[in-house]
Amino acid sequence: MAETLLRVAGLSAGVADKTILHNVDLEIARGEAHVLMGPNGAGKSTLGHVIMGDPAFEVMEGSILFDGADITEKSPTDRSLAGMFLSYQAPVEVPGLPLYTFLRTICQMRPELKTTARKFREEVGALADELDLDQGLIMRELNVGFSGGEKKKIEMLQLLLLKPQLAILDETDSGLDVDALSIVSKGIEAYRQRCDGSLLVITHNTRILERLEVDRTHIMVRGRLVADGPASLIGEIDAHGFEHYECELGDEA
Amino acid sequence: MARTHVQDINRSLYDFVMPEVDAERYADGLTPAIVRAISEKKHEPAWMLEMRLEALERYHTMQMPANWGPSTKGLDLNHISTYVAPNAKRTNSWDDVPADIKETFERLGIPEAERETLAGVGAQYDSEIVYHNMRESVADQGVIYTTIEDALADPELEPVVRKHFGTLIPMTEHKFSALHYAVWSGSSFVYVPAGVTLPFPLQSYFRLNAQGAGQFEHTLIIVEEGGNLHFIEGCSAPKYNVANLHAGAVEIFVGSGAHMRYSTIENWSKNMFNLNTKRATVGADAHMEWVSGSFGSHVSYLYPSTILAGDNSDCEFTGITFAGATQDLDTGCKVTMNGKNTNASVNTKSISKDGGINTFRSSVIIGPRAENARASVSCQSLMLDDMSRSDTIPAMDVRCAGASVGHEATIGRIADETVFYLMSRGCSEGEARTMVVNGFANPISKELPMEYAVEMNNLIKLEMEGAIG
Amino acid sequence: MAGTIQLAHVNTPPAQTWNYLRINDIAIEVPVPREQGAAFNRLPRIFDGIECGIGDEARDWIVASTPDARYIEVPARTTRVDPIVVDIAAERDTAADTGICVREGAEATIVIVAGAALPGEATTSALTRIIAERFSKVHIMEIIALSGSFRHLEGLGVDAAHGAHVDVRQYFLGGKTVAAGFAANLAGDDATVELSCRYLVGTGETLDINHIVRARGRNTREDMAVSGMLADGSTKTLRETIDLIHGAKGSQGNEAETVLIAGENIRNKTLPVILCDEDDVAGNHGATIGAISPEQLAYLQVRGLSEDEAVALFARSIFDDALIHAPEAISAAAVAQRAEAVLGIEASRDSLEALGTDFFGGV
Repeated sequence: MAETLLRVAGLSAGVADKTILHNVDLEIARGEAHVLMGPNGAGKSTLGHVIMGDPAFEVMEGSILFDGADITEKSPTDRSLAGMFLSYQAPVEVPGLPLYTFLRTICQMRPELKTTARKFREEVGALADELDLDQGLIMRELNVGFSGGEKKKIEMLQLLLLKPQLAILDETDSGLDVDALSIVSKGIEAYRQRCDGSLLVITHNTRILERLEVDRTHIMVRGRLVADGPASLIGEIDAHGFEHYECELGDEA
Repeated sequence: MARTHVQDINRSLYDFVMPEVDAERYADGLTPAIVRAISEKKHEPAWMLEMRLEALERYHTMQMPANWGPSTKGLDLNHISTYVAPNAKRTNSWDDVPADIKETFERLGIPEAERETLAGVGAQYDSEIVYHNMRESVADQGVIYTTIEDALADPELEPVVRKHFGTLIPMTEHKFSALHYAVWSGSSFVYVPAGVTLPFPLQSYFRLNAQGAGQFEHTLIIVEEGGNLHFIEGCSAPKYNVANLHAGAVEIFVGSGAHMRYSTIENWSKNMFNLNTKRATVGADAHMEWVSGSFGSHVSYLYPSTILAGDNSDCEFTGITFAGATQDLDTGCKVTMNGKNTNASVNTKSISKDGGINTFRSSVIIGPRAENARASVSCQSLMLDDMSRSDTIPAMDVRCAGASVGHEATIGRIADETVFYLMSRGCSEGEARTMVVNGFANPISKELPMEYAVEMNNLIKLEMEGAIG
Repeated sequence: MAGTIQLAHVNTPPAQTWNYLRINDIAIEVPVPREQGAAFNRLPRIFDGIECGIGDEARDWIVASTPDARYIEVPARTTRVDPIVVDIAAERDTAADTGICVREGAEATIVIVAGAALPGEATTSALTRIIAERFSKVHIMEIIALSGSFRHLEGLGVDAAHGAHVDVRQYFLGGKTVAAGFAANLAGDDATVELSCRYLVGTGETLDINHIVRARGRNTREDMAVSGMLADGSTKTLRETIDLIHGAKGSQGNEAETVLIAGENIRNKTLPVILCDEDDVAGNHGATIGAISPEQLAYLQVRGLSEDEAVALFARSIFDDALIHAPEAISAAAVAQRAEAVLGIEASRDSLEALGTDFFGGV
């Protein structure tokens, strides 16, 4: 088996007065693509944000290891610089900040991505074309007045620019029309091919997985990982939903 | 489409005049002699007379601001009587109140409210309090509710008054606070001991019956650590053709961990110049709430102000102003945040009609040490016709990096879509507009004490004429 | 140096408030206008009536300090390709008094730049009054990018007739004391003004802004968005007034302000006023004053920025935004020069390389 990139062990987390995640164990090896599925409100997004160190959540127990180092206490900034990436389900609007300035800044601070402004400008232009994004958006304010599809594509653009070792894609497929979905899928494919990065796709929709070779599938219900299995599990979920897992969990949660 | 008409406030409830029988009325105008006479009649300590005389001097040298505010033209202190005392002794029994005065307060519903929902009542008629009473059970807990005049005569209370009186609102604040300190008369003094919660509100009602007179009552409230008080202030006057003046002052000291709510329904007649000043200072972990309804007066300058001095203290200001014909109401509030983690929330609504002028004026100052202070100001104005006016002038001054201020203001009229939507569900246009105006005022009126909420609904009696043409 | 006089009431808004707040105006010490002889080049009388935000006293001082007023006309139904540039080189203590008439259906871009590369001490000023005739389009770019002890007075007034559209981009990037007034008189029906104002007030600097939009015509639109950043020991005052005058039926005005406080000992004063003398109108104002919102900060952190870097990013974004919208070389150079002083040479060059006008050949 390939070397472990991410190891989540015995993780419980939540907000001040409410535990959302209970004793979660998850391992992702270098180069693997995992899928995290579960009904609405199961805590999937929370897991993505907690792995990334979102200060809105608090880790109550357990640890998170990335590339062999314990990052449980690390800031999101450090995690990002270490090669982790989280795409937002609802990307944040930052009025007044040109998208270009943002992209340039987050790339230029990583030694491996440093390049001249002119080359960078061209690279961003090429990626925008690839993702079918209007070039004019690049000089507009970050996410302000962007459509849902444009916002998701901007997240993909950042993924392809930053080339992280691990990408957590939080409901990247939600709210997209068919065309946008296909472009986002292509973006994910491009990421896999170009960076050989690991992937944790959070979704409750199997559509986006059609183009993806999945190594492992995890099911989360009420903050617990209740099952995992091979890619074929996705087909089962497609056919039968999550009810079976929810019943199994009974009233204990 | 014919414009529907929202009727002016029905004022008949308040607009009745009692004859001025045997009243002791001092000469019009302002002289040291009048000030001395007021002081002498009240048997005041010397320091109070000195304060009055100093204030009178300042009054003569101070100017009204030339660059902002409604005009006070028509207000001539040479034709205002600053002291009119009814021929009545202060009593704690309604039976001892002279018949005409008793009838006045009965028509205003005060004795009834006292029986049902209040812990104590003070009633001022022109320049003096004529009735004062508090439930025994409340008095037993050490709560003091009396007049400042009586407190000054009490050797135990005099030092307390002296320590607080005039310290929160200085006489130099503005021209009419100077006037207030020169001629103040009639008052409420409330002292709530540490840890005491009053089960019911206290209420002071101010009635100005005399024509061409001024009312200058002073309210001094001290709530000690952990105390809890709801104080209600009501005011009204009959309509005359000459100017009347109200220049009261309210000083409130809220101790740490204490809770204070001050509710006002102000329904002065439209010949009244209302230049009232109210201020509270709030200790650590304490809470101050203002609920303010302004419906009356010809001209108002009214901005209850709060100083959040202690850490973790907070304040809420909820206000509604209704300006109709001939009214120029400049109202709002001031908040100064000095403590850490303080919170201020301001929520106001105004309705303008028939040429009435509403100005919302506020200031939020966040001091350099007010780390993590949060302020939010929201003001909404509704214009009911194109003859009226509504201005919003909120100032903000932030000197602390770790603070945040959110502010939103909207001015508009009743949306045609809303009226159409309601009409499509079977309402007449008049009903639809009434619903919208009521809905607009409702979040504020529900904060008022029950009897005042009912009163407000009566006040904004919306009568729709005209129909879709 | 010649003596100085005090302009006591600069940037006074139409509706004032408590004087103790010291928010109603700013007093500025300026040099006594030099004797220039009597034969001044004056603007046509028609410009006299155009309000320009800084107040009559300051306006008269600029007029008196400017030996040669400049009048420019953009003929009807033409589009002027080259921007009209008012270039205030601070080193030369410049004052400019410019009147521009954009005739019916014409379109023009006007650039007002005040830049100084070297530290120094001077008082510069620009007074620009514009008549935007029916259905004209006027694009205005103001860049005040001074350093050192430069003081600057900026007055800008626009009269907009029926269907005229005016957009204004203001960038206040530096100067010891900068007082900038702007007034738009939307006299005609359907006239619109869009104002975007961005600023960075550095340590020890004072920025004083007075925006006035008077809606007189029917169905006018006025949108004002102001955002900026305050560094240690800086002072900023913003007065914004939307005056919805009787008869301006169907008009809508919006004011929005965002202030990022990024330092200690700052003073941030805001007076956002809506005056309303009409019922069939809508006026809105919103303000957010404080630090970066937790949601924004978390998002930026997740992309690898520390809190300090996030704040630095916001500072850079103001300069980058100015570069992105700079329509010609003089304004771009002024921005780049100031960016060099504030952000450092590396960041400035980096932005200029990708965003300078030569890359796009103008926007």
